[in-house]
Amino acid sequence: MDKKTKNASIDYILSQGLIKPQTARGRIAEMLRTIGFRFIFWDTGYSLFFATITLAGVLVLFSFSPDNYRYSAAIVVAPLVFLLINMFAETSERTCGLYELKQTCRYTIQQITALRVICYSVVGFVFTTVISTISTDNGYEFLSLFSLCLSALFLCAILSISFMRFLHGIWVNAVFIAVWVFVNIVIPISLEERWEAILREIPIAFSVLLAVLGAVVLVYQISKMLSEVKRYAVA
Amino acid sequence: MLLLNNVTKKYEDFTALEDINLEFSSGVYALLAPNGAGKTTLIRMLTTLIFPTKGEILWNGDEIVGLDASYRNIIGYLPQDFGYYRNHSPREFLLYMSALKCIDRGKAKRKTDELVDLVGLSDVRDKKMKKFSGGMIQRVGIAQAMLNDPKILILDEPTAGLDPKERVRFRNLISSLSKDRIIILSTHIVSDIETIASRVIMFKNHRLFTNDTPASLCRTLMGKVYETDDIAVINSPYLVLTEHQETGKLSRAS
Repeated sequence: MDKKTKNASIDYILSQGLIKPQTARGRIAEMLRTIGFRFIFWDTGYSLFFATITLAGVLVLFSFSPDNYRYSAAIVVAPLVFLLINMFAETSERTCGLYELKQTCRYTIQQITALRVICYSVVGFVFTTVISTISTDNGYEFLSLFSLCLSALFLCAILSISFMRFLHGIWVNAVFIAVWVFVNIVIPISLEERWEAILREIPIAFSVLLAVLGAVVLVYQISKMLSEVKRYAVA
Repeated sequence: MLLLNNVTKKYEDFTALEDINLEFSSGVYALLAPNGAGKTTLIRMLTTLIFPTKGEILWNGDEIVGLDASYRNIIGYLPQDFGYYRNHSPREFLLYMSALKCIDRGKAKRKTDELVDLVGLSDVRDKKMKKFSGGMIQRVGIAQAMLNDPKILILDEPTAGLDPKERVRFRNLISSLSKDRIIILSTHIVSDIETIASRVIMFKNHRLFTNDTPASLCRTLMGKVYETDDIAVINSPYLVLTEHQETGKLSRAS
């Protein structure tokens, strides 16, 4: 037997005995193929509607924010599109009475939520870009604010996913939004213009690094959510 | 074969089930016990909704927690409180559930039509479910549980809210589905399972009390079964086997 045949035989034997663990990318492709985009977002129409209405209200408030609080306001608002869609969709999912049943299906709600989170993150990214663009006057300011807003978006997404994975309460996402908004209002009120100054003085290199780090952790969290063995189903 | 080895489920200080040993092969298994005895806890463990505090649940020798998705592939489940999308038709809902169960689209369409016929909802397959009766919703629930042609079909209080006529229809349906699969059905109503169960499993004080055929149980209980409208008199050493609501009064057999 020559070396080539021998290697082919070994590969064949190994392929019969070992099951390759599926990568997160492979799983996403498989889920999109089998479930389809329509069913991933099935019955989330109401949630998207309410998220849009709430966001419109937030944007109106944002447009009235004073110029010397632009950074502080933008950082609060930037992750809100992600947080609101996620909150409305996931809260309605957990209260609709089918949560338990869906947890016994081939794909668990966590895995489907992970796919949704990817889409929400993309929408959040676009929204962050818009918010940063309308809040700044030049390229340097844009880069500085954009990277800070992205860091805030990724931080919120990471925390949301962690809450979904480890805390199983129905209202956990709603509470998180309330805390996020509250903290980001209390800080500028207590520090006044110093908070805005601190944000503006953060070096771009640091905020970009923070955003990149956030993106890496978010991708890791999503891939964990897609592939982990179910540890629980009902709270 | 589905096997439970010394399974215990505790919630902090409360023990919902203790040291349960059971073996399931093809047939209809009825979990018969009063409310709060641990039927739903057992069912939730069998459907991987919760995991045992102690012991193991094995499917063909492998622990179901480790089997993960491949175990969920072979189960069909109808929960006690079956939620549904009011503004969708049974057909749409079943297609949606098929997608979550990873069933190929072509097969899902065929299977959906087949099951809608089987549960007798052909006439209303495209009607919104908000106008459906409790019995019709329950039939949609059974259909969704059967979508993946499960080897293990688990039904938690499937006859709750059904009228007597619908109960008869349900019994016939379960009988027709029981070939070559394990059907585990929980109930506190004896008449639901007396004619269709191959084995009856009872719990007492959160422990397994008996696991026997209906005929054998009837022989054991001959001359020892009473029915009363006076709940207060039912206490130790009597075992409450079943209870039902009748003209506003709660009756129990023990």
